[in-house]
Amino acid sequence: MAHTLYPRGTVKKIVKAHSNRALSRDVDILIFLHYALFMQELVKEASIASKQAGERGLSARSVRKVREGCLRGFKG
Amino acid sequence: MSESARKKQRVGSRTSEGAADNSGTIYADLQRLATAAPKPVTPFRRAVSVTPTPGSRPIRTPGTGRTPRGGPATRPTPIRRNAPTTPHAIRALRERANAARTPGRRRSGRTQRETPRDILRDLSRVLARDTRPVQPSPQEQQRRPRHSALDLPDVDDGPDPAVPRLSMPLEDMYDDDSFHEAPPRQSLLPNLPDDVDNGTIQSLEFGRRAISEDPRMMFTTRVSERFADINELGIDGEEYEVDGTFINRRRTLNPDELLEDVAEEDLDDTTTEIRALTGRRDGRPSDVDLGVFGEMDDDTEEPTFRFTIPPRMQAQARDGAREDTQERVQEMGAQIDGDEDDIQAGAGEDQEETAVIPGGDDDDDEGSFGITGWESEHDNADDADLQAYRGEVSAFDRSLQTQSPERRATKQRADRQRRALNISRFGHEYPSFPAATVKTLATGFAKSQGSKAKISKDTLAVLVQTSDFFFEQIGEDLAAYAQHGGRKVIEESDVIALMKRYVTVYIYCTDVYICPIRRLTLLS
Repeated sequence: MAHTLYPRGTVKKIVKAHSNRALSRDVDILIFLHYALFMQELVKEASIASKQAGERGLSARSVRKVREGCLRGFKG
Repeated sequence: MSESARKKQRVGSRTSEGAADNSGTIYADLQRLATAAPKPVTPFRRAVSVTPTPGSRPIRTPGTGRTPRGGPATRPTPIRRNAPTTPHAIRALRERANAARTPGRRRSGRTQRETPRDILRDLSRVLARDTRPVQPSPQEQQRRPRHSALDLPDVDDGPDPAVPRLSMPLEDMYDDDSFHEAPPRQSLLPNLPDDVDNGTIQSLEFGRRAISEDPRMMFTTRVSERFADINELGIDGEEYEVDGTFINRRRTLNPDELLEDVAEEDLDDTTTEIRALTGRRDGRPSDVDLGVFGEMDDDTEEPTFRFTIPPRMQAQARDGAREDTQERVQEMGAQIDGDEDDIQAGAGEDQEETAVIPGGDDDDDEGSFGITGWESEHDNADDADLQAYRGEVSAFDRSLQTQSPERRATKQRADRQRRALNISRFGHEYPSFPAATVKTLATGFAKSQGSKAKISKDTLAVLVQTSDFFFEQIGEDLAAYAQHGGRKVIEESDVIALMKRYVTVYIYCTDVYICPIRRLTLLS
């Protein structure tokens, strides 16, 4: 992996903007882990939904259908 | 005896001759018996009655020779001797004997024809046949008219109340609305085709009250009401909330790039405008079951709206938006230094313009509405730019109107805003999560899921938007955890608490315990 897995600065900026608080040094890694878990579940649910709908691959519609539930599941 | 027999025969012959027509029937025989038998018999009976009955019996039994003569009529004679007392009794006995001796004939002939039972049976059969079919036929007929009758009144009742109640007031209302609303639209339309929408949206946006902090607004609006408004406006929280909601809407409507896609913005604006229009119309008819009163109320209400608002409107909508942008820019920090001056200058110009306008509105009556302000604004210096905005950018973009001075100044700022278009609830700009990362993650997970790894553009856009939502949610939650911990810095413990929370939620969401355990192990 020549390039980093994700842009750390961007994640920090985003979270800082939303929380209006400073971030400790390595929090963004854990946050990204959390995000990765979220994405995993999102993709899983979306693929299930798209298969149920008879669509090929991941469709935007299935993601839209699924994302609210996933976001709710990941709510603190 | 022989004489009597002869007489009988003669009489019988006479009667038979008289009743020759009936000769064939049983009636004829009976009539012969009735007419012929008594006359010769009565003297005979008397003689017999005088003589003791027991002596007579043995004599008669041998004297059965009569019976062959008389044929059927002679048979009753032995019964005579049994009860020869009175002629009535004798006749009754004869009739009984005949009835007893000739049962078959009578039953076969008379009884079936004449008995009332038979008649009644025939009647009953006929009536039963008739009645059975008759009963259902009238019932069906009754049912049919009942249904038809019920249906008809129902239909009549249904439409009668519904149609006049709904249609009449609605039509009246729309007509009235059209009367009231039409002139402003028409006045607006020739000037600026898109302005109608913008005007409605501005009226909606007025709630922002971005007037804050502008001295010129203070001067222009010295009225005590304005002070109250300004005091209200002074509260930063309200402004922020209003702006925040507004901004949030924009995000939701246009996820990332409002500036780039003008067409999408127009669509959104139209939708919002339609919503606003529909909302108004809905509100009016909802008031309306009593159409006239509702109309009256609307008439009274509308001018009040436009009275109070238009001065604020024009001042606020623009200046507010620009001020908002100014605030954002200030919060943004050092980036915008040079542009702020431009923005303030532009805002100042607009304020002056608006300052002139509200005075005119106050002088004018209802007729002026918000439109005068628009027109006056058009008269002002920036006509070309304003029209350009209105043509391109719709009312929602008023929040973006800061762009207009920016456009004047440089396009660099527009580019910069594209990058950091999103603005958080706290007024911080932030970039949307990079699509490349999302794509790599999603493709990896999709492969692991076994489905084809290809992700279309639409899906990727939705995923990026979803990830933005996710980070927004996470940021708020992490801030809440940190605040609960009394810290101003978000630490790892907060994130772990969040993830544990997710695990618990996950247990509720899905029946699988393995996944949360795995994640716990990952965390630990």
